[in-house]
Parts: sequence; structure tokens; C-alpha cells
Amino acid sequence: MDVKVLEMPVTAPARRIRWDKLAPYLFISPFFIIFLIFGLFPIVFSGWISLNDWTGLNPPVFIGLNNYRNLLKDPDFLLALRNTVVLLLFSGPLTIGGGLLLAVILNNRLVRFRNVFRTIFYLPLVVSLIVASQVFSLLLGNPFGLFNEVLARLGFQRVSFLTEPSLAILVLVILITWKYIGNDLVIMLAGLQSIPPELGEAALVDGANARQVFWHITLPLMRPVILFDIVLSTINTFNIFAEPYTLFSLSGGVRQSGLVTGLLLYRTSFQFFKFGYGSAMAYILGLIIFVLSLIQLRVGTRETER
Amino acid sequence: MRETSVHIADRRAQRLALGALYVILVVAAFLSLVPFYWMLISSFKPLNDILTIPVTLVPPRPTLENYQLLLTQTKFAQSMFNTLFVAGVNVLLQTFLCSLAGFAFAKYRFRWRNLLFTLVLGTVMIPASVQLVPNYILMANIGWLDTWLPLIIPTAANAFGIFWMRQYMYSVPDELLDAGRLDGASEFGLYWRIVLPVTRPALGALALFVFTTSWNEFLLPLVYLRSEERYTVQLLISNIFRQRFQQNFHLLMAASVLAIIPMTILFATVQRQFIAGLTLGSLKE
Repeated sequence: MDVKVLEMPVTAPARRIRWDKLAPYLFISPFFIIFLIFGLFPIVFSGWISLNDWTGLNPPVFIGLNNYRNLLKDPDFLLALRNTVVLLLFSGPLTIGGGLLLAVILNNRLVRFRNVFRTIFYLPLVVSLIVASQVFSLLLGNPFGLFNEVLARLGFQRVSFLTEPSLAILVLVILITWKYIGNDLVIMLAGLQSIPPELGEAALVDGANARQVFWHITLPLMRPVILFDIVLSTINTFNIFAEPYTLFSLSGGVRQSGLVTGLLLYRTSFQFFKFGYGSAMAYILGLIIFVLSLIQLRVGTRETER
Repeated sequence: MRETSVHIADRRAQRLALGALYVILVVAAFLSLVPFYWMLISSFKPLNDILTIPVTLVPPRPTLENYQLLLTQTKFAQSMFNTLFVAGVNVLLQTFLCSLAGFAFAKYRFRWRNLLFTLVLGTVMIPASVQLVPNYILMANIGWLDTWLPLIIPTAANAFGIFWMRQYMYSVPDELLDAGRLDGASEFGLYWRIVLPVTRPALGALALFVFTTSWNEFLLPLVYLRSEERYTVQLLISNIFRQRFQQNFHLLMAASVLAIIPMTILFATVQRQFIAGLTLGSLKE
């Protein structure tokens, strides 16, 4: 992302009425007014709430940093963090690696029907998370799901994907990979298309094979894009809510095996109405995401300057 | 002689490699499409045929009953209408405000411009999850709970939209604006009559992005909406799933099909802008 503003040459000083001095401020003011009320104020307010014991019904009681202290030894919070990281470790490589693989293939001019394939891979992106989760809960169901039918026909045992604790994260991984691989594909394709094809062609003429071109030319040039995508996937994973909510409900499923941070945050704040505790949790998660966004911005800036 | 045999081997290797690529593509495309197919055929099956072993790949007794039930027994049609309204307002409001601000940042020199623009971009880094609780308390206190306003007003401050529009505004020639000024157009008139028509493609991509986000939004409706007659379509689908104790997959799949129809139509008709919008969206998330 380009943070620097290009200096515009001044044309026609046009010293008219003060309107054209005032106009730009008027034009940008709606953003700042709305942001002050619904963006900045909540952040400050949230910080204060997080220092209070505040449930929906009772008035807030100031308790200092106790919410934060309790959070760091809250088994649910630690479990949610752990589950989220595990989810990320599996879905990240799949979506990013898969997206890159598909992008490299679709960037190859020898491959035909590229537009058709691309359209197919983008299709899941238009589906809402709720719809996607519903369809997967049907597909993965036991015994009436299509997955289990395939397993049974292949001679395997039927599996209770949705209630077997050890499979909860796997279910989320499958759903996320299906839903988001198109997103990574968009990013990777945009990155690949900015690499001049002559580079690879020159190397091929010099006797390099396709694999060498990929490892020694394409991949190094794609590094900033891949980094950007990694950060993006990380942030997205920390915000995942609708999928586990649909598949495992607010409880997080059997033995909370599907409990991720987004689910716990919602549950704390809006099922139990622990506003103080929820705000403290949001702050800790926000801090993690903020640090990641900083990296993302840095990487993105470097990318556009290139 | 040797050369040619190497060439033939090369070509054969190339064809083999290309074949492998097609296999990957076809398998991936198949996996991509299976859930769509399953959603579609399940929506035409009576519940008994959905919950049966062995699973049937083609509906043995296709019926439109699910759709009929959905439209008569639930508030689904109403929720489609609600979502369309909310998404429509979001599109109008955000394209207007973003292009206006983008215009100001690109085409005016004013004090603190750079600082203000950096501030706009900086707002993107604030994690939305932190705003959820305080905004809920705020909305409760100003009486906005169970209205669509929390789904519309806060999202109107769209920093990425401003960034996006600003980039396009640079391509508007200053001479065009100066000519407009000479003709006596007001500053807002310049924006309305000169800038807006020129930047239509960028506006289109932004509009699509806003529409998709708004149509698929789930968390905000879940937090703020209470009365069923105000539900958005995502919230309604989610509630069909959890309200009752029996299985509702027949209704769910019919609802899913209808809920993705507007998006699919948009996607099919304006694919190019859509992809631009997706790229914009991937930057945002």
C-alpha cells in the first residue's frame, strides 16, 4: 500500500471564493465524523471497559488489570488460542500453497480454458460463510453426508466429522480451504502477472527447466506477495467466527474442540455479557492482530514501491 | 538425429507435464464445484431423501416443495428484501462518501492533507473485534438496537474505499476541472458532473465489493438484530438451522440456493469488475 502522497503540481491557482479552500475539508469530513464516533471512541471506551468488572446487568466496578491477569490463566482462552494457531498452521499452507500452485498453472499460457478454471475457483468467494458452513455440515454429516458415502464406498469406516473432537479443526481446515483458496489465487495471480514473462523465457532459452525457473526466478520475486498473503491469512484466522459458530455452535462443539478465538470472544461478550472480560480479550487479540497488520503494511508498502 | 530424438523426448515430457497440470486443475475444479452441486440437488430433495443411505447423486423425486415451504412458512422473502435494502443503502452511501473524499485527497492541495490521509489509512489497522463491545453499548444507549443503522452507519467510514477511489481520481485531468471552474461550476458540481462520470469503473468495482460484503455480513446482524422481520438473509438462514430441534437441511439448502443467486448473477454479468473488487477485498481483509 502506498502511504506517501504524491505531490500534485499546482495548476491554475484560481483564487475564487473561499469555497475551494473549504471544499476538500467538507468532502473528507463525513469519514472523520463517523470514524470519531464509531471507530475512535469505541477503542478508548473499550480500554476503560476492560479495566472493569462489567456484566450487562450490573454497573461497572473498577478492578484494574484483573481481567487481563485472569485471561492469561483462563483455560478456555488458552485453548482457543491453541486451536486457532493449529488451525492456522494447517489451513495457511494449504490455502497459500494451493493458491500459488493454481496461480502458477493459470499463469501458464500453454494451458487452455484458463478463464473457465479461474471462474470456477473464484465461485466459492461469492458464497457467504453461513451458506458455506451449512453446506459443509450437510456434506460432512454422519451417516447421510456425501463424504461418508464416498468413504463407505471406498471401504473405509464412516466418520463423525462434526462430533469427533480430534477432527473439529480438520473440518474447519477443509471448509476454509474450499472457501478461501480463490482469495489467495487472486492475490497470487496479481503478483505473478507483475513479473515480466521475459525473465522466465530468457532462463528457458538458457537451458533452465520449468522447475528451476519456478524455484530460482518466480518464487524469489513472489516473496513479498507470499509474505503479504501469510499475514493476511493469519489475521483472517484470528477473526474466524461464522464457520465454527455454524458447525459447532457457541459451545465450540464436543469438548470445545472447535473453540477458536473469534467464537470465545463472541460468547464471552454476547452470550454471558461479560463486557469487561470480553473487552480485555479483544484487546489482547487486537494487539496480536495489530502487530500483524503493521507487518502487513510494511510488506505491502515495500511491494508497491518495488 | 540425436538432436531430434532429444526434441521428441522434450516434447513428450512437455505434453506429460501439461497433462499433469490439467489433472490438478480438473481435480481442484471438481472439488470447488461439488458443494454447489450438492446444495442445488439437495434443495430439490424432500427431507427424507436427503437423510437416507445410500446417498443419491440425483434427486429420485425432485420437488419444489422446499422452496414453497421456505417462502410460505418462514420470513425468507422478507429477509431477502431487507438484505437487498441494507446492501443497497450501503452501496450508495459508501460509493458517494469514498469518491467524494478520494476526490478531495487526489485533486486538492490543502493543509494537513498528507497527515489526514495517513490517518485515514491508519484506521484500517484497528482490529474490528475491539470495537464490538463498546459499539454495542453505544448503540444500546442511542436506541439503535434492533435497527439497521448499526449495519449501515459505522461501515460508511470506509478507509479502503477512499484509498481505492483516490488512486483513480489521479487519472482525472486537472484541465477538465479547471475548464469546469471557468464555466462556473461549484466545487461539488465539479465532483458530481465531471469526476463521477469519469471514474465509473472504479466506482463499479467498489460498489460490487461493498454489496458483496454487506450481503454476506453475519456478525453485525447477529449482534444487533432481534425481531425476525428485520433479519438479514444470513441471519435468517443461521436461525433456521438452530431454532428447531429437527433437521432442516431441505429448507437450508433451498435458502442457500436463493441466497447466493444475487451474488452469482452479479458475478456472471460483471466478472471483470468483480475480480477488481475481489482484489480490493483481499487487500482489506
